[in-house]
Amino acid sequence: MSLAKGPAIDMLRLEAQVHSAVSSVDDPEYPGISIVDLGLLETIQVNDDGSTVIGLIPTFSGCPALAIIADDVVAAVQEVADVSTCTVDWLSSPAWHADRVSHEARSCLERKFTVAVQIGQRSTTCPLCASKTVEQSMFGPSRCRSVHTCTGCGETVEVMRG
Amino acid sequence: MDDFETFLNNGGIVESDDAMPDEYRLAVFRFIELHANSEQMGGLTERDWIPRTPGLRHKMAVIAKTQDEFGHAHLLYMVAADMGIKSRREMIEELYAGKSRFHNVFHYRAKTWGHQVAIAFLVDAAALASQQAVFKNCSYGPYRRILKRIISEEGFHMRLGEDRMMRIAQGTKMQRDMFQQAINDWWWPALQLFGPDSKPNDMLLRWHIKSERNEVLRDRWVQKFVPMLQSYGFTIPDPGLRFDDDADRWVAGPIDWEPLKKTFANVGPDSARRIGEASTHWEESAWVRQALAENNTVNELVQT
Repeated sequence: MSLAKGPAIDMLRLEAQVHSAVSSVDDPEYPGISIVDLGLLETIQVNDDGSTVIGLIPTFSGCPALAIIADDVVAAVQEVADVSTCTVDWLSSPAWHADRVSHEARSCLERKFTVAVQIGQRSTTCPLCASKTVEQSMFGPSRCRSVHTCTGCGETVEVMRG
Repeated sequence: MDDFETFLNNGGIVESDDAMPDEYRLAVFRFIELHANSEQMGGLTERDWIPRTPGLRHKMAVIAKTQDEFGHAHLLYMVAADMGIKSRREMIEELYAGKSRFHNVFHYRAKTWGHQVAIAFLVDAAALASQQAVFKNCSYGPYRRILKRIISEEGFHMRLGEDRMMRIAQGTKMQRDMFQQAINDWWWPALQLFGPDSKPNDMLLRWHIKSERNEVLRDRWVQKFVPMLQSYGFTIPDPGLRFDDDADRWVAGPIDWEPLKKTFANVGPDSARRIGEASTHWEESAWVRQALAENNTVNELVQT
């Protein structure tokens, strides 16, 4: 008896393909960093007819990038063979939090963009010299980021926070 | 200075607490201050449109863009203040007193939504091209790192600008006429944003603050936007514009630099109103700064 390729396995494979398509979408403000690594992806639903629903959570609800991110996700997922349609649902819960940012994305934000990520209530450290940073303003260019100064090298550092 | 220039020519990066010649320090400072002032005035312009956008989608984008511009200004003022020439407060007060410079495009009034679309589409692209050219080879480390993030965000504004342009270009005759008028009004200011041809002894180029000549950037912008606007059926308000078949390039007509010079002297078409309004907001918000200072809740940097 051979192990036939059952429909369940196909669905799992399709789901994995959809996941990797979503992962290929970068944040519009951070080219090179995937929205999945930033913790935006919450659910993937793949139905028998090939229709897919991607559940995403915004870093904050008024984020102006939502429409562009959704367009990019739909375009990427529809490239997957066997996917008939794709819709994006912006979920209101759970709330996004900086803890959702992956380790890889965190080090990329530090290295490429000199942006630190605040984890919980812990103080943040400078991406350049690892000294402690001090908050100068709760808000930077975006509501999900504050502006800090490094106590060591004096660098102006943006901090992504939940 | 010779050693310093050799250091720069070998790709050296200068940090804020490094020793540097006074001329270099001043040149970098002035450049960043101009950029910061322009983001600040740009934020005020964008903010004017928050209550007037057609629809929620655009409103969200305008609110976020306003925050982006002020955020950029904030970061840039911090980097500029670190150079020890002027404090952040001095820079803001001089800007609002009309004693500083900011980019020419913020000396004009955005009168219609069509103007806003033209600004987001044409002017932002010109600003982005200039910033990219600085970032590519900038010798001053703190500015270069801030630019990296500003450019990613301005690139996002460009996408929003393209989105707005596509919507208005596919709209009714009235919308298309409004956008054509906006192109007529903003084409030249956008082109002039790049400035006159770079001088052979331009110190900004020599010290790797800028990496490309003004005329090169301007030409690249012309090559991109002339065919793009024409493909949507819009006309370019430049009677001297022609296509050079041999070179396979668009050649712009002669540019009148008088309007640019006026904006440098803060006597452009809308300079007085812009500076006056900014200055009024600054005075009216004095109580907030005072309350924060008295409660000692802000870092001393904010007060200086």
